[in-house]
Amino acid sequence: MNDRFITRRESIHKMFQLSFGVVLVGGIGNPFIPGTALGETEKSGWLVEGVGEKTGYSVKDLTRKVFDAAGGIGRFVSKGDVVVIKPNISWARAPQLAATTNPEVLEAVIELCQEAGAKKVRIADNTIHDARRCFAVTGVGKVAEKTGAELVYPRDSMMKEMNLHGQRLKDWPVFTPMVEADKVINLPVAKVHALSELTLGMKNWIGGVGGRRNALHQDIHETIVDLAQFFKPTVTLIDATRIMIANGPSGGSESDVRASNRLILSNDPVAADAKAALLFGMKPEDVGFIRLGNERGLGASDLKLIRQIRVSL
Amino acid sequence: MKFRHLIWLRRTCQALFLAFFVFLVVETRLPPDAYFDYSLVSSEAKGIELSQPVSFFFHLDPLAWIASGISERRWIEGFGWAMALVVATFFLGRFFCGFICPLGTLNHMAGAFRPALKGKTLMAANQKKDDRKIKYFLLTAILVAAVLGMNYSGLLDPISTLFRSLALSVFPGIGIGLSTLFKGLAQSDIKLFNTIGYTAENLAAPVFGYGYKAFQAGLLIGALFLVILFLNRIKPRFWCRVLCPLGALLAVFSRYPILRLEKDESKCTHCGACVKSCQGAASCEPGIVWQNAECLACFNCQDSCREKALSFHFKWPMERAPGIDMGKRAFLGGVVAGLSVPLFGKLDGKMYKVSPPELIRPPGSLRESDFLARCQRCGLCMKVCPTNVIQPTWAEAGFEGFWTPVLVMTGGYCEYTCTLCGNVCPTGAIEKLAVKKKIQAPVRIGSAYLDRGRCLPWSGNGPCIVCEEHCPTSPKAIYLREESIAGADGKKVKVKLPFVDLKRCVGCGICENKCPVKGRPAIRVISAGESRSPENRILL
Repeated sequence: MNDRFITRRESIHKMFQLSFGVVLVGGIGNPFIPGTALGETEKSGWLVEGVGEKTGYSVKDLTRKVFDAAGGIGRFVSKGDVVVIKPNISWARAPQLAATTNPEVLEAVIELCQEAGAKKVRIADNTIHDARRCFAVTGVGKVAEKTGAELVYPRDSMMKEMNLHGQRLKDWPVFTPMVEADKVINLPVAKVHALSELTLGMKNWIGGVGGRRNALHQDIHETIVDLAQFFKPTVTLIDATRIMIANGPSGGSESDVRASNRLILSNDPVAADAKAALLFGMKPEDVGFIRLGNERGLGASDLKLIRQIRVSL
Repeated sequence: MKFRHLIWLRRTCQALFLAFFVFLVVETRLPPDAYFDYSLVSSEAKGIELSQPVSFFFHLDPLAWIASGISERRWIEGFGWAMALVVATFFLGRFFCGFICPLGTLNHMAGAFRPALKGKTLMAANQKKDDRKIKYFLLTAILVAAVLGMNYSGLLDPISTLFRSLALSVFPGIGIGLSTLFKGLAQSDIKLFNTIGYTAENLAAPVFGYGYKAFQAGLLIGALFLVILFLNRIKPRFWCRVLCPLGALLAVFSRYPILRLEKDESKCTHCGACVKSCQGAASCEPGIVWQNAECLACFNCQDSCREKALSFHFKWPMERAPGIDMGKRAFLGGVVAGLSVPLFGKLDGKMYKVSPPELIRPPGSLRESDFLARCQRCGLCMKVCPTNVIQPTWAEAGFEGFWTPVLVMTGGYCEYTCTLCGNVCPTGAIEKLAVKKKIQAPVRIGSAYLDRGRCLPWSGNGPCIVCEEHCPTSPKAIYLREESIAGADGKKVKVKLPFVDLKRCVGCGICENKCPVKGRPAIRVISAGESRSPENRILL
């Protein structure tokens, strides 16, 4: 398969072709085809998996390669855009513990956005531990300093009550930087979680809201999908360079971590999570929020419906 | 040798030291530089160090040093400055009070700003009075109590008092006001207000703290601070003359002044200018004996005298100054108080009969008796804590431990890889810990237990696991078992039930803090199991 994806012009052609095809398939009644989102422009679900095969591969180079395979960063970020990157830096844990997004991946993404001419790149996450400690311990602070990206301190005054229009979540305080941006890049880390099974891209949006987040657990899958429906990222890049396979989501020991050397980039939040679930030896359909995301039309959990590219380094 | 410009030297020193003190209060915080990389700190033997010497003024404080040393019967390290001050005081008198003490400077300013006393009333207020003996009484009481193992010097020590007042009352008070303002601006629909609020918050938050910082005894501490400042309307530097035990201690030490006030009675016109300007009521006018021990070395008298009848000189050989004006009654009263307060303090039995479950001390705290012997109740640990979990006690530690630090988990929690409180503690009541040691030992501050009646899954009210999710240890101290629990409709539902493994629990309290059952959470931390106390352990 070719490394390059399609250009904007080609994508419009593709879109017409695909939507035609989808109408056909949908007509036969395939249960895995989401109904509502199909008419939307970017429904041509695609996914790029980047694999670091050689030992000592460069995580930054792999990140670039993955974006190049998807058509280049210019496809997602235009000149003058305000880009918000949402990593998962909820815990004040050192990078090697895999509780947080790999700072190298973050750095590469910021640089790509800057190269694409973004006016401003902001790193925002409503952390669980004290944010200043999270910034310093996860290595994200260093990245911000190096790249000049703005590190947003999540504060009370930045939480604004909004209607999420969800099944379970209606009025809820939203971390405003997430919605005050031209482009949003979701940059989660892949790890296990006792209640939702996994913490991936869709669940990362719990860091996009404030309020009584600890009550979301009472209906975790439904609320994750509510959030994922509200926050629609331009693109999702799941950091699975190393994954946490036990003691999640906070981890705390290197024995909880396994190298996976993968990055998953997709425009379909459900498909990205589905692909990452496979890394944990799980069937996407067994993970509640992936199944529900598919049912509610957020994306496709059946990877057969997704155009996949694999690149390696 | 004459010193005409000593008054300006004094004012400059006062301004600098007060500014330095306030600066250190501000700097007693998690390093605000988020770009600072301490990703490796948890694997190092070194803890997180603050860039500023925030405990400088405490290490300059001989009262803190002597009182905690006596009560713990041990040489407390790190007080080189205090020793130097004692030696200097022998020869220079209470120059600390006049030049350095930041609370003294504030009192000085409060007395000079729109003074309540003028003319005759001021003359009368600045005469030698018996109330000066109160400070010797307090000093005796503190030192005698220290011999009995109780150290409450911090309650009255000016450095502790000022730090506590600023850090736990003044700064948080301003901070809460600003936070409310910024939130109002941020929630406005006008874009300009948002920008102004955001920018102002970025500037103010590192100084006044991020979000709301609040302390449970803040109101009382602030009120007492105001009282101290308003006392200057009764007489100038009321606190320094009448109450300050550190001033009393330094007075005891100022025995051989080589810097002496020379009075030329023949030039004196008895205009009273020197008396009116005197800060210490130290009998500066010619004709009576200068009270070296009461003199705050402000040099106002020399400056105010138009006839040049008063002047300070370095005089050699040194001669012994008249003793302090303590009096038998103040001394005996001090002894009685010093003996009775520790004994009465134990009457509530909090420390000796039971282990108060809510008394959770910061990580690295010494065992209770040693802890109380050293703790200055200064509030450094409370100010530096990034989660605002450390609070001054009311009654949790009994009468003896009033205003000592306690962790209230509903307000914050102890960050698993943070050791800032121990790193700033001036007397070592909280041990300096490396993050590595805190995690590996592990240092336990208590242990969590479940209240199954409140817990959502245990009580049949549905899934939760928030406590397990936040548990920072690896493997987690809170583990889950899937069971079927009947809900209100009698139908059994599969839920994951949390359990606590006491062998792993360190008592950090994040489970209690994050539990969705607010106020009195379904999982709570009690002091039982804390590693500092052999008596309060649970497991064999």
